[in-house]
Amino acid sequence: MNGEPLSRWTMAYFAAALLSLLAAEALMAVGYGYPVEGLRAPATLVVVHLSAVGWLSLLMCGALFQFIPVLVNRPLASPGLMLPALLCIIPGLVLLVSGFLVLDSLLDIDAPLLPIGGLLLLTGFATVAASLGLTLVRSRPLAIPSAFVVAGLAGLLVAAALGFVFTQVLGGTLSVPVLTDIAARGVPIHAAAGLGGWLAMCAIGVSYRLFPMFLLAPDAQGSGTRLAFLFAAGAAVTAIAGGLAALFAGWPVPAVILAAAISAAGATVFYGRDVVNFYRARRRRDLELNMKVAALAFLSLALAVVMPGVIAALGRSEAAIAASVYMAIFGWLSGLGLAKLYKIVPFMTWLECYGPVLGRAPTPRVQDLVREARAGPWFLLYFASVWAGTVAMALGSVTGFRVAAAGTFAATAAIVVHLVRARMLCNVDCSLRFPVGSLRPSLLHSLAPGGR
Amino acid sequence: MKKYVELDVRPILAAGGEPFGRIMETVASLDPDEGLRLLAPFRPVPLFAALGSKGFTHEDREIGGGDWEVLFTPAPVPAATAAAGDVSAACWPGPLMRLDNRGLTPPEPMVKVLGAAEAMQQGEVMEVLLDREPAFLFPQLAERKHEWRGGFDPDGVTYRLLVRIGTAP
Repeated sequence: MNGEPLSRWTMAYFAAALLSLLAAEALMAVGYGYPVEGLRAPATLVVVHLSAVGWLSLLMCGALFQFIPVLVNRPLASPGLMLPALLCIIPGLVLLVSGFLVLDSLLDIDAPLLPIGGLLLLTGFATVAASLGLTLVRSRPLAIPSAFVVAGLAGLLVAAALGFVFTQVLGGTLSVPVLTDIAARGVPIHAAAGLGGWLAMCAIGVSYRLFPMFLLAPDAQGSGTRLAFLFAAGAAVTAIAGGLAALFAGWPVPAVILAAAISAAGATVFYGRDVVNFYRARRRRDLELNMKVAALAFLSLALAVVMPGVIAALGRSEAAIAASVYMAIFGWLSGLGLAKLYKIVPFMTWLECYGPVLGRAPTPRVQDLVREARAGPWFLLYFASVWAGTVAMALGSVTGFRVAAAGTFAATAAIVVHLVRARMLCNVDCSLRFPVGSLRPSLLHSLAPGGR
Repeated sequence: MKKYVELDVRPILAAGGEPFGRIMETVASLDPDEGLRLLAPFRPVPLFAALGSKGFTHEDREIGGGDWEVLFTPAPVPAATAAAGDVSAACWPGPLMRLDNRGLTPPEPMVKVLGAAEAMQQGEVMEVLLDREPAFLFPQLAERKHEWRGGFDPDGVTYRLLVRIGTAP
């Protein structure tokens, strides 16, 4: 690849993502949203969108901008779009959340917050999808990991487009009967496209490439990976195309989503097998903290898949869905995201600051930028509190859930401090921190080699 | 019996000099059927690979006092790097330095390549064996004005990278 090795604005995406996560966790800790209020209450929508759009989607966009060019060995198409996209998404999210707060009577602003927010979010995410999609399409033929990401970008567009329709209908700017019908019954499709189509697909695609790299393991071989993709793509197509068809034909949408979920569970089995093989076949015996923690995230995914059946058997089907989704979002995707940030942030910082002087002056190792022994307990607290929160949610214990959410918030805040310290090179010995010719990191922006 | 040109690098090393360029000059001046008899104060392991890629086999023996004699003999078969196909078939000089960075945890391979490049002269070539295409290394090489070529060996497992040292500012 002859392009730039570092994505310039990925750190800004990560920063906005982490702030959204902290906000969502703080709200859950104070009892705002589900399970104190209903699944479709405006309060729940605030927490869900801070988590799914603000945290996970910005995290995923930032990571994809960094890694897609590396994975396909091509420069990013239109890298100049990265910042404008972020500058659409952040205000779009603020307006969306403000619109929900107006619906919840916590804000009193007479402005089309939801329609403008939905438009900005659709514009921002379409820009992201265009830049990343073009980069991937130019690198055809696509390997399976890239195919997962392409499918994920399609899921992102569907989720953002449906979200756009909902905001226009809720805000009163559109009242075409077809669209109001979609808004009334299309929420499960929107959620499936966003969570399963976009976030899960991309997380799987990226991990197929990064895990062999981080573990020094061979790439996944055999038909299992292909089956994982077919089941996952089948689930996405069933949920989105089948869901929309059901919506227009008047069939029950949740039944279609359930069929998609079963296919997704099949994908998880094959994906899980590949992940276990990566760990087993690794040549690097000592695991870094990020890979140990990632194993807990995968355990969370397995639990999220088997849990709904168990809880539903207790006669609590709504709690079963909510707890399973909570475990998938906070145990798997968020846990994996935090773990990978603990690898990506120090590595990008190290490459940016010390790349220019490698071989010319003594430089710290990447591992010198982090303090794994101190960060480890916070990751353990994170997973313990997410699992406790899941159990509390399944059992309907509001107080238990709030206590657990407070633990999740505290752990995340501590991990964020560790990430900022790694980014600002606080853990590097003073004598080694800035050899002559090295670059000083900025919190939100990365420089290309040569200080450009 | 083959004819060997003798080169004793012990005085060069004793005077604090770097014999590598002298060795390569001598090798370049050999007739096709001539070999090199090298005398060194240690077993010059990196040379085995460097000259092996130029088509020489070697026999080494300790000659007392920690000194070694190595006979480099032109082999009748093509150079081992021919396996990399057109990667190494261009008109670059044979590699003077060989690094086997397979099995190292990233970013160690990159650190080793950039460190080794600093010790080499303009126009010299280094050959590096890697587990993966070094995507993060390429921009660093470009920044330092080094040229590179690389590709997977036919086995699809080893990535073979050739770096020609440029004029770093």
